[in-house]
Amino acid sequence: MSLTEAPTFDPAVAPDVRGPTAPFPATIFALGIASLVVVTLGVVVSQVNYAVSDRVLTPSCIEQQISPEDNGAIGVCNIVEALDDPLTTGSLYLGAAVGGLALILGLASYRRMDTERRRDHAITGAVLGAQGIILAIAILWFRSASPGLFAKHFLNFADLEGYGSAFVRGARNTLIMAFAGELGGIVIGLILGVLTLSSRRSVRAPARIYINFFRGTPLIWQLAAGYFVLLLGFNIRWPGLIVAIMIFALNTGAYAAEVFRAGIQSIERGQIEAARSLGMGYVQAMRYAIVPQAVRRVIPPLMNEFVILIKDTALVAVLGLTASEYDIFSTAREGQSATFNATFFTAAAIAYLIVTLPLIRLVNAAEKRLRSGLVGVVGAGG
Amino acid sequence: MADLETTNTAIRETTGRPLVRLEGIHKWFGNLHVLSGIDLTIQQRDVVVVIGPSGSGKSTLLRCVNMLEAPTLGKVWFEDEEITDIRADLNEVRTHMGIVFQAYNLFPHMTAVRNITLALEKVLKLPSDEAHDRAMDQLARVGVGNKASSYPGQLSGGQQQRVAIARALAMEPKVMLFDEVTSALDPELVGEVLEVMIRLAGDGMTMMVVTHEMGFAREVGTRMLFLDEGRVGEQGEPKDMFFRPQSDRLRQFLAKVL
Repeated sequence: MSLTEAPTFDPAVAPDVRGPTAPFPATIFALGIASLVVVTLGVVVSQVNYAVSDRVLTPSCIEQQISPEDNGAIGVCNIVEALDDPLTTGSLYLGAAVGGLALILGLASYRRMDTERRRDHAITGAVLGAQGIILAIAILWFRSASPGLFAKHFLNFADLEGYGSAFVRGARNTLIMAFAGELGGIVIGLILGVLTLSSRRSVRAPARIYINFFRGTPLIWQLAAGYFVLLLGFNIRWPGLIVAIMIFALNTGAYAAEVFRAGIQSIERGQIEAARSLGMGYVQAMRYAIVPQAVRRVIPPLMNEFVILIKDTALVAVLGLTASEYDIFSTAREGQSATFNATFFTAAAIAYLIVTLPLIRLVNAAEKRLRSGLVGVVGAGG
Repeated sequence: MADLETTNTAIRETTGRPLVRLEGIHKWFGNLHVLSGIDLTIQQRDVVVVIGPSGSGKSTLLRCVNMLEAPTLGKVWFEDEEITDIRADLNEVRTHMGIVFQAYNLFPHMTAVRNITLALEKVLKLPSDEAHDRAMDQLARVGVGNKASSYPGQLSGGQQQRVAIARALAMEPKVMLFDEVTSALDPELVGEVLEVMIRLAGDGMTMMVVTHEMGFAREVGTRMLFLDEGRVGEQGEPKDMFFRPQSDRLRQFLAKVL
């Protein structure tokens, strides 16, 4: 058979080998969403319903050791009662059932969807359905244990009244420590980072020892030890907040050093060669050509370190601060020991999130901008 | 003896003073013997073209001239100074030798004009207005005067490479080293860079050029070196070497690239 006699292809009579198209991708997608919506909405609506209406302490609440003398007992009881409300129960079971339907239909049919978009719908529907099931089961399980005791200790916000200004002060102290610590750490880190890149071992070694020590020991140990080393070793009696900032700076410096080292190493060899070939010395080349470029690249990881440091400042609790020096976590601990109500820790978590979530968004945006490769142009020129 | 010295000097004056002299250059990268015993003298106004297959050590040899690569063995002189001597002030020496790289190596965080004024201000210690004037002159000279405030990322490869040439020229070097400066360029941008180099050679600049542009080598080069496996395979007048290659290796190489 010669090549010229190749069989002709007629789309009109060509058999469709794809097989039948699976039905209703949009329905599966909708079922998945419905599952999640039913579960969350059922729980939220009955919680809100109980919270806004005037209720009393029910016998079942008292059975669960929520006594009328407890501050905020009715609020706690409302949470427990709302969890047991038929609306909650019904929506949990309904949501789980709908989720199961979406999961089964989606998994059974996604391979036979005839477009990418329909397949996406089927898969997403199945995934959302699975999430609905998991959420429903988790809430049912939680409800079957001791929700009353939990709500009494962790969701009783009544005792927090009057602690608002204390938390604001705590947040301020947390940010002061994290900010000052990060700033000091960046200065230490930049110096150490450059030292670790030296071709001379005698220069590298001390920097490496410092970095390995601070990366290799727990921060909580460094805080405690730092305090006593200053006090007993050097007879320096600084306020706890200052000691904390110093230790945070020393610790962050070790991590920032690695960030700067990696940032500097990521600059192409040609850059330092170009600078040196123009007669610049090593220090000049670093200062004008390499470090300014490296600094741009290390902004996202340094911001990451900052977010980590914000949370790590909670460790100052080991220092025994005075009340005016309390950070968020110490404030919560103080409130909890005064009222025996652990809801202060729930509030602390919310306070940390208020500070960290916008920063995390900022880090992601900065990373995205860096990846887009516009940093050399826009970063310098605006 | 004293007479002989004077005579030698006199001869050197008439034939052009040797600007760069390499003697017995060897370079190992680990076990790889990249250069094995190269001698080279560059006189003033020379345009020395270095050709050869990839991996033959052309770029390494060029980089030994301004000591970006230190030879493992052998000596390099610039004018009357042995710059392989550990006591040589390389930063000072390098202000007299411009180098242009294959990858341009402009500073991406600085405008074109700032790329040039940086070394003028920080190394030559020129006042900033004088540095700026000199930079603008050089940018105009290579035909990118209107791009002074652009960042490298906003320029085409050809424009970036011309800014890089202007950056090197602004230092008023005595010799210019070109390391495959057109190899990274899109074909239609090669011409504008070669044009600048041709003009530079016409102005009497001493140049050492590692290149794959055989037309440039033949027409602009005053002397040509064919490097092969770290040795000088052949050297002489470019036209002679192109039309009457003596060795098989050069014949084979030319057959492949022409």
